[in-house]
Amino acid sequence: MSIEVKNITKVFGTYTALNDVSLEIKTGELVALLGPSGSGKTTLLRVIAGLEHPDQGSIVFHGNETTHIHTSERNVGFVFQHYALFRHMTVFENVAFGLRVRPNSTRPPEAQIVERVMKLLKLVQLEMLAKRYPSQISGGQRQRVALARALAVEPQVLLLDEPFGALDAKVRKELRTWLRRLHDEISVTTVLVTHDQEEALEVADRVVVMNRAKIEQIGTPEEVYMHPASPFIYDFLGNVNLFHGRVSDGKLIIGNMALSLPGTHQPMENAKVFIRPHALDLAHSANGVDQLKARIMHINPAGPLVRVELKSESSDVIQVELSQERYQELAIKRGDEVYVTPRQLKIFTDDYAI
Amino acid sequence: MQGGLAQRAKSGNTRTLATTEPWFVRWLLISAALLFLGFFLFLPLAIVFVEAFNKGFAAYFQSFNDPDAWSAIQLTLTAAAIAVPLNLVFGVAASWCIAKFNFIGKSVLLTLIDLPFSVSPVISGLIYVLLFGLQGWMGPWLSEHNFKVIFAVPGIVLATIFVTFPFVARELIPLMEAQGKEEEEAGLVLGASGWQVFTRITLPNIKWGLLYGVILCNARAMGEFGAVSVVSGHIRGHTNTMPLHIEILYNEYNFVAAFAVASLLALLALVTLAAKSLVEWRAQRLQDTEEGVK
Repeated sequence: MSIEVKNITKVFGTYTALNDVSLEIKTGELVALLGPSGSGKTTLLRVIAGLEHPDQGSIVFHGNETTHIHTSERNVGFVFQHYALFRHMTVFENVAFGLRVRPNSTRPPEAQIVERVMKLLKLVQLEMLAKRYPSQISGGQRQRVALARALAVEPQVLLLDEPFGALDAKVRKELRTWLRRLHDEISVTTVLVTHDQEEALEVADRVVVMNRAKIEQIGTPEEVYMHPASPFIYDFLGNVNLFHGRVSDGKLIIGNMALSLPGTHQPMENAKVFIRPHALDLAHSANGVDQLKARIMHINPAGPLVRVELKSESSDVIQVELSQERYQELAIKRGDEVYVTPRQLKIFTDDYAI
Repeated sequence: MQGGLAQRAKSGNTRTLATTEPWFVRWLLISAALLFLGFFLFLPLAIVFVEAFNKGFAAYFQSFNDPDAWSAIQLTLTAAAIAVPLNLVFGVAASWCIAKFNFIGKSVLLTLIDLPFSVSPVISGLIYVLLFGLQGWMGPWLSEHNFKVIFAVPGIVLATIFVTFPFVARELIPLMEAQGKEEEEAGLVLGASGWQVFTRITLPNIKWGLLYGVILCNARAMGEFGAVSVVSGHIRGHTNTMPLHIEILYNEYNFVAAFAVASLLALLALVTLAAKSLVEWRAQRLQDTEEGVK
């Protein structure tokens, strides 16, 4: 089912949580709402679920105006950040709840409820724990119970609020891939809220980056990562080096480095230059003026990429990521003076981006 | 230092040395507390029973043969039987509003709930006399319709309700606030109606706290003296509750009967306390298992 969010504004007292936000989600899509805490992403999810009423704007489910339809009639599945399992019910009863509360006319017979619940518990690999209480199972298991409970009512929309936020790194990764597989299997329209950019980029079909009650950018993970629309996104999605420089005569000047820019450029006084750590290379000797001189402060060779921390002549900290091969080839060590070459960069001023 | 460590290891005590006091300090504090308890709580309680049985079992049971005593017991139970359920309903409703919703006047409601705790019971009784008494605001209208509140059973019930008003709500509000409203929201999203959410999610989650509040409320309802004394008029066999009856008997130097009824009231209190401890223990155990696995 498609979801249309039209010009939603939500204010809590003096705090604006959503400011004229519009978004379209296609049927069967998995969309991640990504942003720092306080960006309004959870509020948007709760507005879609009907748990909050927007002050302005409307929500449309599959072409039908839904803004004033009560939560219990929207047929959405919602997974809460802290799972919100019913603590006095067993795992089985938690999952069965949505079926049991239906009016007589639409409630399936007991045998069918049992069958459906056990099928769902099997899907989330918890059929052995049906008789346990939420307090007796682990965080990852609770998460899966919450998901099974949400799926039991066969929702047309699945909404997940920081679903993996409270889990440790390993379980998180497992559940993430598992969720993606599950989504491909049952293909229900899914909206996921997260502040973890890695999670959003890995799982989602499209990523909606939010900041300060507004949407900053909507795009595929590749689009938002490779072509961030604003300095905020550049900074938020992955590590980035920020340099302050200026542009004149078609050249970017940072400290004593003058880098020729392709094409023609307006001169800029306060240019913010973003360069990802993996878009920088190191060399032992200077080959011109398009390099920054820096001293190696720290090397962390553990992991697939070698992380090198340097300090430029103007005392800026520069982070560089090298492949293991390149690291061996360079044979650098702490304290070395080296030259840094940018391969790819992005320049922003307040209202203009190259 | 060495000795302390060895002792700690031996007794399996996990307290750090910094929080352990020398033996004589512990001994002094414990005996002071026990003496105080014995003198101010246990001794009076024992005296109630000693005095009640002073002239033997026959005299003790003879005291309950009095129709006025029976009427007092009945009235006390009636007042409690009306006040407790009403305060239960009100307490649950009020704490539900306060814990789960934000509205204008929430702090006013909270203050109002606390009012009976902060006002002297005698004054609460007087308020009802001023409201419903013959010279009161509604007195003339009530007497016109031949309905007696003051110096009658309705007044006693009203005073009891007022005095026991905060017990259930005060018990539930912190509990419900701690539990938050996520479970209720989860229920709503799953398609449950408001009533289903309340009966299937909220109520089971608060049942131990609720029971605890009801027990305290009941104890106070049966034992209330001040407010009831003002509105009762002390009409023997009609408007005397147990505490009032005891006072009358005592003033008539009928000590055995006074202490016999008092012993019954004390017994009710002891049963209530036992029930309360049981509920507390149950709730604590549940909480422990919940936290133990986390």
